[in-house]
Amino acid sequence: MTDAAIKVEDITYSYGDLQAVKGISFEVQPGEILGFLGPNGAGKSTTIKMLTGQIAPKSGLAQILGKDITLDDPDIQARIGVCFEEKNLYLSMSGKENLDFYASLYGIKDAGSVEILRRVGLADRAKDRVKTYSKGMRQRMMISRAFINSPDVLFLDEPTDGLDPVTSASIRNTIKEEAGRGAAVLLTTHDMFEADELSNRVAFLNDGVIVALDTPENLKLKYGKRSVKIRLRDGAGVREETVALDAPESGELIKAAVGSGEVLTIHTEEATLEDIFIKMTGRGLAG
Amino acid sequence: MSRTVSRASIVSAIVKKDLVEFSRDPLYLFLSILGLVFFIGFFWIAPNTVNETLVLGVHQTGMDALFEEFEQGATEAEGLKLVQFASEDELKKVVSGDVEYWESEDGTQRFFRDKAAGDKRPEDAKRVAVAIGIGFPEGFLEKTAAKEKTTVTVYSDADVPAEIQGAMKSFVREIAYALAGNELPVTEPAQENIILGTDRAGDQVSLREKMRPMLALFVLMIEVISMASLVSSEVLTRTVTAVLVTPAKAGDFLMAKTIYGTMLAMSQALIVLVAIGAFTAENWALLLLTMLVGSVMFTGVAMIVGAAGKDFIGTLFYSMLFLLPLMIPAFSILLPGTASTWIRFLPTYGMTQVLTGITAYGLGLADVWKNLLVASAWVIVIYLAGLFTLKRKVESL
Repeated sequence: MTDAAIKVEDITYSYGDLQAVKGISFEVQPGEILGFLGPNGAGKSTTIKMLTGQIAPKSGLAQILGKDITLDDPDIQARIGVCFEEKNLYLSMSGKENLDFYASLYGIKDAGSVEILRRVGLADRAKDRVKTYSKGMRQRMMISRAFINSPDVLFLDEPTDGLDPVTSASIRNTIKEEAGRGAAVLLTTHDMFEADELSNRVAFLNDGVIVALDTPENLKLKYGKRSVKIRLRDGAGVREETVALDAPESGELIKAAVGSGEVLTIHTEEATLEDIFIKMTGRGLAG
Repeated sequence: MSRTVSRASIVSAIVKKDLVEFSRDPLYLFLSILGLVFFIGFFWIAPNTVNETLVLGVHQTGMDALFEEFEQGATEAEGLKLVQFASEDELKKVVSGDVEYWESEDGTQRFFRDKAAGDKRPEDAKRVAVAIGIGFPEGFLEKTAAKEKTTVTVYSDADVPAEIQGAMKSFVREIAYALAGNELPVTEPAQENIILGTDRAGDQVSLREKMRPMLALFVLMIEVISMASLVSSEVLTRTVTAVLVTPAKAGDFLMAKTIYGTMLAMSQALIVLVAIGAFTAENWALLLLTMLVGSVMFTGVAMIVGAAGKDFIGTLFYSMLFLLPLMIPAFSILLPGTASTWIRFLPTYGMTQVLTGITAYGLGLADVWKNLLVASAWVIVIYLAGLFTLKRKVESL
């Protein structure tokens, strides 16, 4: 295993008396996408704020690329990319001007802004002012801004929130490409499908504490139920049977059902990440 | 990939971005251009002459010799002109403005114009405004000499300052006292006048010239609103947060705002000062320095306002809250005699005095350095307050 791009050990943060993050620990390796899942107020955004240097942890250790984030080292800021939940773009400037401006803050002279915009499907609108962009276009613009410095570590806060399926799919592909070139990605999202599709591992955050951290498959195996649901023709009606996969007679039951020639559909009954989250915390992700 | 980027490059990139945003905001542009055109136009429309002569209307009978002597003296002396009227009613009408009094250019012909009666404007004549007059009753000399009581009426237009009205009453009392054969118990010094402070007699400046410092401050004020709106929008939309997760630090952001605000305010103030003819070969360096001091002061104000304002209306409200008191010293220059002692404690007092001294009276550094020092001290206080307020706001996002 290589050195972790993000290393967090027992960090905490409080807003006055309210403890938003209560000693969480995790690591993200280069090329890995860690999905950070949790409802509003769970501490996701506070964690990102700490890791991007916007606020300092009250205690604990937070390292980005082996450097302590509290040291305010400009080299760290030069190697991270952040996509905020708020669309904080300069509306009176064009897409290209926005990217060129941020590139200049990193000391990049020729950022290839149009090429970056092409990756998110905005090349033909590069010279238009951002205020004329739709919500989806602005979100793609936010993503492209996070990529402007070819970051080694990417923080993506709800990157597809409220977007249509096509735009969301396009953004997910771009995130995969970034991880593919070696960037470590910390992704916060409410979307279980997105977390499942993108994340190598997911962390469930609830009330400032990580309650589970593993690959989606392991979490499903550990907390989900292994069964298949079989729908059979039953005279004029339809009958459903659920067969547990771990039972000794499972094979025979499925074989019999298929052999009856009455099977309409067979589906595996895999738990979703949301099911598991609810099971573990007693609350949903949307809350 | 790790790159190094200098602080100067970051600051310059933010300043460039701010200028692009400024140039694309129709409201900022409108305010700036309107301000420039309005202030320059206003200056050139304002009167450029100063009338230092007090015109005193008099009606008397039996005192011709005395007033001939007075009139001769008044003509020779600067600042007093006597106009005699045939009747007290005529004097009263002229002072009250019901009838206008005109004189030919050489002063030999007199005209009375009753506008209400439809009288036409006299040709080759100029109007003489008689704002105060004294009506002496018949037998005034004799009665006074006999120490009998008599009544003298002082007529005064409502606009005449109370001090002048009071002076006229004293003037009448003094005449009566002298005519009654009493010697004044006070001896005047042999020399004519002892002026304490700067004697502006014969060297008064016109309203137009007095407006120069006020206009310069007005331009800076407009720029406060523009810059505060820009800062406020950057805070509210949290674009500043996006900037601060790059290698840019809060200090770079604040430095960029200082440079941008100072540059913008100063450049516009300079345009106005050049257009209203404030620069001379002698004063340009001192004027530039003063405007730099003023621009930094108002940039500090803009930072405080920008950090406090939640929208354009809020920004406008906070701008006015700060700017109106700061404008008072400039207004007091326009209205001499209105300045109270507390005005000296306003942050813009020193700067206004310096600007007035330089642009209206041609003073140099040796004359204005104390006020310039006071202005600089205030700049440090206000600018540091602006930096602190905005830094706290930015870091709290």
